[in-house]
Amino acid sequence: MSAPVLEEAPAPPAPRERWSLHRVFSSKASWVLVVLAVWIILGSILSGIHTLTLATAAQSPFTSWLTEVASAIRGNRTESVAFVYFFNPVRGGIEGFIEVIRSVIAVPGAGDVIPVIGWLGVIAIVGFVVFATSNWRTSLLCMALLFACGALGVWSDTMDTLAMTLGSVALSLAIGLPLGIWAGLSDRALAVMRPALDLAQILPTLVYLAPLALVFLIGVASATIATMVYSIPICVRLTSHAIRELRGSGALEAARSMGSTRWQMLRKVELPMAKRTIILGVNQTTLAALSFVVIAALIAAPGLGKPIVTALTIRNVGDGVVAGLAVVFLAIMLDRATTAAVVRSDTILSDEGRVRRRIALAVAAVAAVAAIILSRQVLWAAVFPPALVIGEPVGAAADAATEWFTSTFSWLTTGVAEFLTVWVLNPLESLLVNSPWWLTVVAISLIGLLIGGRVVGVVTVVLLTAIVVIGLWSDAMATFAQVLMATAFTMIVGVVLGVLAGRSAKVERALKPILDAGQTLPAFVYLVPVLALFGPTRFAAIVCGVFYAAPVVVRVVADGVRGVSSDMVESATAQGSSSWQIIRKVQLPASSKSLMLAVNQGLIFVLAVVVIGGLVGGGGLGYLVLVGQSKPELAGKGLAAGLAIVLLGVVLDRIAQSSARRRS
Amino acid sequence: MTSSPDATIAVHSLWKVFGPKADTVVGTDLAELSRADLLAQTGCVAAVRDVSFDVAPGEVFVVMGLSGSGKSTLVRCLTRLIEPTSGSVLLDGEDIAQASPKRLRELRRTKFSMVFQHFGLLPHRRVIDNIAYSLEINGVGREARHARAREVIELVGLTGYDQHYPEQLSGGMQQRVGLARALAVDPEVMFLDEPFSALDPLIRRDMQAEVMRLHRDLGKTMVFITHDLAEAMKVGDRIAIMRDGAVVQVGTAEDLVARPVDDYVADFTRDIPRSHVLTLQAIARPVRGDDDLTGPRLPGTTIVRDAARAILDSQHPVQVVSGDDVVGVVTKDEVLRLISADDPA
Ligand SMILES: Nc1ncnc2c1ncn2[C@@H]1O[C@H](COP(=O)(O)OP(=O)(O)O)[C@@H](O)[C@H]1O
Ligand SMILES: [Mg+2]
Repeated sequence: MSAPVLEEAPAPPAPRERWSLHRVFSSKASWVLVVLAVWIILGSILSGIHTLTLATAAQSPFTSWLTEVASAIRGNRTESVAFVYFFNPVRGGIEGFIEVIRSVIAVPGAGDVIPVIGWLGVIAIVGFVVFATSNWRTSLLCMALLFACGALGVWSDTMDTLAMTLGSVALSLAIGLPLGIWAGLSDRALAVMRPALDLAQILPTLVYLAPLALVFLIGVASATIATMVYSIPICVRLTSHAIRELRGSGALEAARSMGSTRWQMLRKVELPMAKRTIILGVNQTTLAALSFVVIAALIAAPGLGKPIVTALTIRNVGDGVVAGLAVVFLAIMLDRATTAAVVRSDTILSDEGRVRRRIALAVAAVAAVAAIILSRQVLWAAVFPPALVIGEPVGAAADAATEWFTSTFSWLTTGVAEFLTVWVLNPLESLLVNSPWWLTVVAISLIGLLIGGRVVGVVTVVLLTAIVVIGLWSDAMATFAQVLMATAFTMIVGVVLGVLAGRSAKVERALKPILDAGQTLPAFVYLVPVLALFGPTRFAAIVCGVFYAAPVVVRVVADGVRGVSSDMVESATAQGSSSWQIIRKVQLPASSKSLMLAVNQGLIFVLAVVVIGGLVGGGGLGYLVLVGQSKPELAGKGLAAGLAIVLLGVVLDRIAQSSARRRS
Repeated sequence: MTSSPDATIAVHSLWKVFGPKADTVVGTDLAELSRADLLAQTGCVAAVRDVSFDVAPGEVFVVMGLSGSGKSTLVRCLTRLIEPTSGSVLLDGEDIAQASPKRLRELRRTKFSMVFQHFGLLPHRRVIDNIAYSLEINGVGREARHARAREVIELVGLTGYDQHYPEQLSGGMQQRVGLARALAVDPEVMFLDEPFSALDPLIRRDMQAEVMRLHRDLGKTMVFITHDLAEAMKVGDRIAIMRDGAVVQVGTAEDLVARPVDDYVADFTRDIPRSHVLTLQAIARPVRGDDDLTGPRLPGTTIVRDAARAILDSQHPVQVVSGDDVVGVVTKDEVLRLISADDPA
């Protein structure tokens, strides 16, 4: 009878739990609440004054100066030395390169009806290449996906996107792999590249477009260069990581001890050992390039992005879904093909297996050549047979499904949306937009100071003031409100699913395909269904942001929860904690570093998509970027909006990151 | 210590200091500080402190010490995988510490080779290409280097495994690949850094026997690192004991057991059965006038354990000889005293 004794034992005093004024004011969270309260009260009293609102067509001194700069640059394209001897040749070279690829698979040459290779030939080439680098199953899948793109009736747009993607990837790898290897080998090289790599991680895709289009004109060249600027840092980062991860490996030391030269080390030891991770880097680079090529339709890149943009602007769900599906198929194809290559590079074949494979390869090569020849000779193999195209019924079905869904679930698509808009988004936006700018700057900086420390506080003041000086304060705050709300929802969804997935392998398995898809799909394609369901509203932009950012948050949180040592969980269970207590008192606190990292990633992902939401009625900075894109007289405003997005991103990133560091 | 001119390896005043401003330590008062004090004062670790020794041609020289005593750093300084802070390492009279990068590569490709605790095999290469690697980087053609690789594969007992990848082999087999790789260039000297510490005890014993066999057959000079005194005594001709980066004592197993220079070494060797290490010379007493000199004669270099039977069976004291001279006698008393000291039960 010893158990009752335990129960009767007097509870130890818990001084830390006792409420006291002193404790409340010594904790940071309470100070943040105090700042918020003061901000809200003062903001509502002073609402509407010093808001720095600027009408869409109006200019601030800074934006009109930028507009002048932009038109000066435009006027100088044929005269200035930099253009004549650098930018224009670069543009010409890249455009030439991409056009060659396009003329092979995508666009007919002058006086021709089909490109050099017709659809059957392209599918055969893809099938052969994937078979050679991975296996026949992946090869079949890739061929089927390409065929499906043709069946959707968007073969030539698909080929344009594929050509642009492959061309950009080739150029990105040509630059990114050597840079990455260099950064992997030399600490100094990495130190030089690091600021650029870090900045690239938080730059939303939308802000690359306008400045590059200004210098390289809209079209294939700027789209390719923008894609490269976006994907090269990813390639560099992962390649450098692949090389660095070998440091301290015994194999390297052994190779050195045998008298290898630097070059022999690299070629015979480091690169072969890093191959697996490098191919994963190629995979990421490729998917990033694809997603960017689609978005680059905003600066007149050819391909599947174009029908999506059109569909978004005139709200034609059917066409958007068809093009979006084709993008999804391409993404799956490129992802499968590159990851299967990783697995392949690991497999070890017996002698017999090798002979069999060589024979199969030869057969496949012959079949591919036959298909290419056929596709140049016979009409049905050259032009995708219209009889097989089911794009229109698919589009119509999507329209019908949208119709049915929005009418059946109008409580969700209009009810919930309106409720959240009125009760959450509007008050938040009104606080940020309608408070005097100086009050908001002070309040946010104070919060930054409390969460992130003095440096972050100062950085926040400086960057927010810069946004004021740029003259886009009010739009920036509108975007900020959407980002905050989307991030909050992302975190709710992400933490709930992440904890579930981290605790249960079954949930994790169930979520995996969705998470994989989320990380593979270009952000742009989310806009189509969301626009269909929620219409052109700020809420639609927020939903997009949540959809896009939730997978990465789920993943980070799940990793964090899983990383909590099982000893800790076991001992808490042994002490009789309930599941809920374990989650709240052990797993979440112990993985707080991952949670902060998740917030950080979530913010950056959300920002990237919310600004694109400007295209579907999100307003704010993203809208200004797009306006600047289409109206030369507002070009400066678009550029300034891009700059403001970057500043906003840096502020959010700094605050989230420093709080992550402080928790660890 | 003055080095003999015909030593294969002569190490003189070798230092390795890790840390900021490592080069300001040697030759100043700081060098006199203990490792812990130096770390506290300057943030530098003196991993190797003023080490000198010679290795004779064909000798197996063992460096032995606890984990962290600087053994790995020392052996890497000898091959310049780690740059020594100061001192010289003469290999056949040539200072490795001063060799140009090109010359250093030549030496590594031809004169010496290393075996590592964690094998350090190249995971993406088959056994045969792992072993042929050093020949390959030296420009030996494919046929020739594979032929040579097959020779050493047979030598280390790996016949039939040449097409395997390292991860398909057990730890012991992987280290055989490591040994074969080190032998492939037919080096003059082999450096082995705790080659068997990562292996199971049974496999370890096999591998020790294997190395002793290879040494007997090929006669390579070896510098063998271990933290296991039993292993050191089994494979080594002479043993250097390291502590906190410095060599405390160099000598044969018998020297260390019979004449430890300090309590540290004595402590180390406490558990070694004396009778397994000491020779008759070490326990013999001088001949007295009343000794009966009709007993059997044994050479002074005989290990006590091996002579014990004969001594215990003999009615008379055993005469210990060096050449033709009788240098002392050993009786049952000395042997029994030694054996009972080994077994303090
Ligand atoms: N690269 C390094 N930087 C700083 N200290 C080191 C480095 N390598 C080894 N040391 C230190 O030098 C000492 C000797 O290490 P090591 O030679 O590995 O010992 P052993 O091989 O005998 O276990 C240890 O205290 C270790 O911490
Ligand atoms: Mg060691």
